Amino acid sequence: MSRAEDARDTAAAWIIRRENGELSDEEQAAFDAWLAASDGNKAAYWRLKHSWKDADRVGALGIPAAPAAPHKALIRYGMPVALAASLVAAFWIGSIPFPTEPSAQTLAITTYRAGIGERKDLALADGSHVELNTRSVIRAASAADHREVWLDDGEAYFEVKHDPRRPFVVHAGARTITVLGTKFSVRRDGGDVSVSVLEGRVRIDENPARNGRLASATMITGGMSAISEGRSTLVTQLSESRVENALAWRDGMLSFDRTTLADAAAEFSRYHRRPVIVTDAAAAGIRIGGNFQASNVEAFARLLRDAYGLHVEMTPDAIKISS
Amino acid sequence: MVSDDILETWFCSEVLPNEGALTSFIRNNWRVGEDVVDLRHDIYELAITGARRGLPDNARAFLFAIARNHLINRAKRSRIVSFDLVSDLEAVRHDPDMLTAERYVLAREALKRAQEGIDQLSPRVRQIVLLRKVDGLNTQETAARLGIGIDAVERQLAMGMKALADFMLGGSGKIIRQKFARKVRKENGA
Repeated sequence: MSRAEDARDTAAAWIIRRENGELSDEEQAAFDAWLAASDGNKAAYWRLKHSWKDADRVGALGIPAAPAAPHKALIRYGMPVALAASLVAAFWIGSIPFPTEPSAQTLAITTYRAGIGERKDLALADGSHVELNTRSVIRAASAADHREVWLDDGEAYFEVKHDPRRPFVVHAGARTITVLGTKFSVRRDGGDVSVSVLEGRVRIDENPARNGRLASATMITGGMSAISEGRSTLVTQLSESRVENALAWRDGMLSFDRTTLADAAAEFSRYHRRPVIVTDAAAAGIRIGGNFQASNVEAFARLLRDAYGLHVEMTPDAIKISS
Repeated sequence: MVSDDILETWFCSEVLPNEGALTSFIRNNWRVGEDVVDLRHDIYELAITGARRGLPDNARAFLFAIARNHLINRAKRSRIVSFDLVSDLEAVRHDPDMLTAERYVLAREALKRAQEGIDQLSPRVRQIVLLRKVDGLNTQETAARLGIGIDAVERQLAMGMKALADFMLGGSGKIIRQKFARKVRKENGA
């Protein structure tokens, strides 16, 4: 068997195994080792995983697998807004003849990245303003009837130019956020999506779920924050200062309020190649508050040493904190 | 060093949309048809290794530069190098407008492509893929439902997964790609 076929078959087997449930520690280690063994393995795995996930869309089409699938009606009824919107867009492309080639401007999808520790101010083609936080990637597309952004990784703050004829849609993992004109920020941590709204109103939709379940929609307004994990969305009414705290990164600051040291360390690690690691549970549980410069992790570490009497060890690979 | 998470996102959103064009490029420039999948695999591997040192500004140009070098190296090694091959490869140009147009169409047509991809599977594989994707059954439940072994289910699911990837990433024969292929051939001929 060729190397390519071998990698592809192994990748398929791992995808199937992972869909069947949690991996045991040994399996996880075997999987990690296989993936780390070569970039060819990564290519094969990422490629299959990507298109296999894309094929999830057939779940939303409502094709019955067996001739008499009982939930077919439910799938049709539950066709989520996002899908309907994409069908409308596909229809629009297909039915209106373009007088000339579509201009590059309406078609362009632009990718923006901010590296570790970077913060970027962006002006989108429609006049909206975006600030990208550390280690973040977005793609933006602007068309005559809608504006779309994909938050592929990290965190971004949006000031959307008001335009009722062109909804502004942000896709973040399993959530879609729709706005007309407002100020808000979206953050992704793996599958978790948090949305904090400073002004105006946004709608958060769950993306097409498997099994034809009804997708949930949540509406939040200024001063509110929503955290989504899996199928659940937790909405909290925050005081204005709490929302401002959640957006403190825009000024290069990290703001903590009764935050555990473990969470604060994870937050700092987002901004630096050298992670902050809390090595014991007693130290990890300490709650801290205050405002810190995201770029100055050394100052944070010194403060922990001086104010809390914690032991700080700085190596080229990590900053280790212990009690 | 670019992290694997970023690399994966980059690979899926910037590299994979070029698979159709890359595959026809290899096919047009390599005489042994059965080598195409292996060569593409090598090129992806080299692209990921290269991008780990820093993501390129233009993924398509980067990918085709790697493809060209790899084909030349392989041709040299197998001592079948001909001036034709080298001069053909010199003529490769990337076309940024094509890229955005192609990607836009791909994004908009993803649903249609998924549907077509499912349609071209053999009936048994299609049934097993749909039980997974539509009914959400895992392999064990699928095996119980169909009264076959788990091994058979996993084998057919893997088959379906691979066929769908090939189809959805490039086997659909888009008009844009044909134009691109013609253009490359025309440039080569000129």
